Amino acid sequence: MSDIESSKSLVNDARPLRVDQEMARLSQDEKSLLVHRFHPDYKKEAYGTLQVGPNKGQTSVHEVIRLLEGKSQLATKTVSLTPTHEVDVLIVGGGGAGSTAALAAKAAGSKVLMATKLRLGDSNTVMAEGGMQVAVSPEDSPVRHFVDSFKGGQMANDRTLLKTLVEEGPSVAKWLIDNGVLFDREEDGNLSIRSGGGSSLPRLLRCKDYTGLELMRVLKDCVLNEEIEVLEFSPVLELLTDGEGTCTGAVLKNLDTDQLIIVQAKTVILSTGGIGRLHIQGFPTSNHYGATGDALSMAYRAGAELTLQDTFQYHPTGSVYPEAMAGLLVTEAIRSVGAHLLNVKGERFVFELETRDAVASAIIRECQEGRGVETPAGRKGVWLDMPLVDVLHGEGTLRERFPNMHRQFSKYQIDIEKEPVLIYPTLHYQNGGIKIDVDGESTLKNLYVAGEASGGIHGRNRLMGNSLLDIIVYGKRAGKAASKRATTSLSKSLSLKHLESFQAEQKAAGIVPEVLSPMLFPDYVNKD
Amino acid sequence: MWHLGRSMTRGVGCLGGACGTCTITTRFPDQMIPKTALACQTMVSEGMNITFLSSDPSKKTISPLPTESPSRETLFQYYPETRRCVSCQACSTACPQGIDVMVAVREAIVGDLSAVAERFTSCVMCGLCAAVCETKIRPHRMGLYARRLTGAFYPKEASDLVNRIEEIHSGRFDPEWARVMQPDDETAVKT
Repeated sequence: MSDIESSKSLVNDARPLRVDQEMARLSQDEKSLLVHRFHPDYKKEAYGTLQVGPNKGQTSVHEVIRLLEGKSQLATKTVSLTPTHEVDVLIVGGGGAGSTAALAAKAAGSKVLMATKLRLGDSNTVMAEGGMQVAVSPEDSPVRHFVDSFKGGQMANDRTLLKTLVEEGPSVAKWLIDNGVLFDREEDGNLSIRSGGGSSLPRLLRCKDYTGLELMRVLKDCVLNEEIEVLEFSPVLELLTDGEGTCTGAVLKNLDTDQLIIVQAKTVILSTGGIGRLHIQGFPTSNHYGATGDALSMAYRAGAELTLQDTFQYHPTGSVYPEAMAGLLVTEAIRSVGAHLLNVKGERFVFELETRDAVASAIIRECQEGRGVETPAGRKGVWLDMPLVDVLHGEGTLRERFPNMHRQFSKYQIDIEKEPVLIYPTLHYQNGGIKIDVDGESTLKNLYVAGEASGGIHGRNRLMGNSLLDIIVYGKRAGKAASKRATTSLSKSLSLKHLESFQAEQKAAGIVPEVLSPMLFPDYVNKD
Repeated sequence: MWHLGRSMTRGVGCLGGACGTCTITTRFPDQMIPKTALACQTMVSEGMNITFLSSDPSKKTISPLPTESPSRETLFQYYPETRRCVSCQACSTACPQGIDVMVAVREAIVGDLSAVAERFTSCVMCGLCAAVCETKIRPHRMGLYARRLTGAFYPKEASDLVNRIEEIHSGRFDPEWARVMQPDDETAVKT
């Protein structure tokens, strides 16, 4: 029997013995020690210092620095800035945050244009499986939600942003339901809730393991019903400013014709999501194809400050086998209903519902110290024992509650009802991003940011279910505020002066850009 | 495609089987009829012929939610072709999510909207069902509308949610907030 098969047998054989096994929770000190030793955010050689821009002197990972200090896609072009579109609010990005922002801005009476580099809705939102945190149960409260998130975020969260997030949770949940989102319900009509890592009470609203898909389907349907103008396959290459610190529009590219599109907008909302496809520190990712952190570089050049740009979330349970599924997420919800994590010897090594940073660190520790399992492709991982869920909650639970997971693995002849699967942390989320205020406005006037592209809400580690909440709460806020600002703003001149001064600053600092940014798409093409 | 040295901007999205953009047909030389699938969920094998289809477009019938409780007529108002189903099963065979689409269409015809909604829970809106339908039904769009009608007119109220909104509105949590928002981390995390 191969090592992998014999290790799997250990897991299967010991399952009945683990049913009632208690696992001690980590103390705050133990957790801090674990995270500092093993979390990728604390790997010194992966980090460098920014030489230019609003966050000069601060650190981030090399992959992000290369982008922020990269070369503009317009650097060698002469661009005519005669607008082809004139709108009140331009929304960049077509996922959950962008769609919500577009709906809010339209509802507030603005002329809205959405631009997205893929098809509308093809985003990370559709892949969010676990749920959306909202403090609805009578035992729970928004304050408790705040405290859990603040602790989980290593107390680095912007308190005002976080308070708004949790306080508006219930009303946005109502808004979603009124728009036809079908959350799972209890017999009495109340919303069905379940627990997530780092949360002191069950608080996750869900639609089976399709919560993000359900939200995105409905939001996209609303955007289309509202007949909001959408430019698909049209990424933004640079923002435009008046040269005096106000954002005035953007330069887009039509991917089919390579033609530039010049949009004059009174306000711009960036909602382009995160950075998974940068494969920071060589990690696989759970993110969609377009998650290349486009907003970061264009906003940075235009003068918007970043915050917590040095911290990323590595979701503890990314699939590592089969190879075709590497990086793909196995939802945290599976651990909230009792699945165990086990090393090569079939032993548990961490309480499974610690926060994501702690669980990921513990898995990395096991693998680094020789207690991981190696896959045929040479990846390392530990076991996630899903069959235990059926033992605990009755046969059929996995199939009923996690149909998506069941189907995905069964395509590769892995029956999650019978055998454990191999997992390893996968690059999942950008904890920080562009700094915003409570209306979603960045430090660059008239530039708003919503969703993962923004930073501050989640501190140094986001809790499960707070991202779907974030995109709706801050999508709405940004859309509303940007719309209001647009009514009092005059159209200003369009220029790339900010780009010229950024390039001058780069030259003075002796930086020779290594890459073009925004990156737009990862380069996976085999050139042999 | 990447292994073959080709870059892609269309027909690629989440790469996780959820966005439904990468619709393809596959066929082996000894098969008469191609099979529909999502590219990101398909293992390539020897002899497989792959054709990329255009993704389901972001264009649809404008179908707002009604103000009154819905019936099957509400559905037919926007998706009248649903009634033309000839029970050929093509949609069910085409669905990469394994949804029995045809049964859902039949359920729609008899007006069982909540059954339709339930059946389309895992729909990724790839539109393959519509692409293969000989009578031009758009089951995925009809299914989403049935879901939205069911969600928006859910027969029982989520009373805890409604109460919570009221509590927040009335300032019930203000004293606790005052404590938590003090600029001292330790105060905030003490429960």
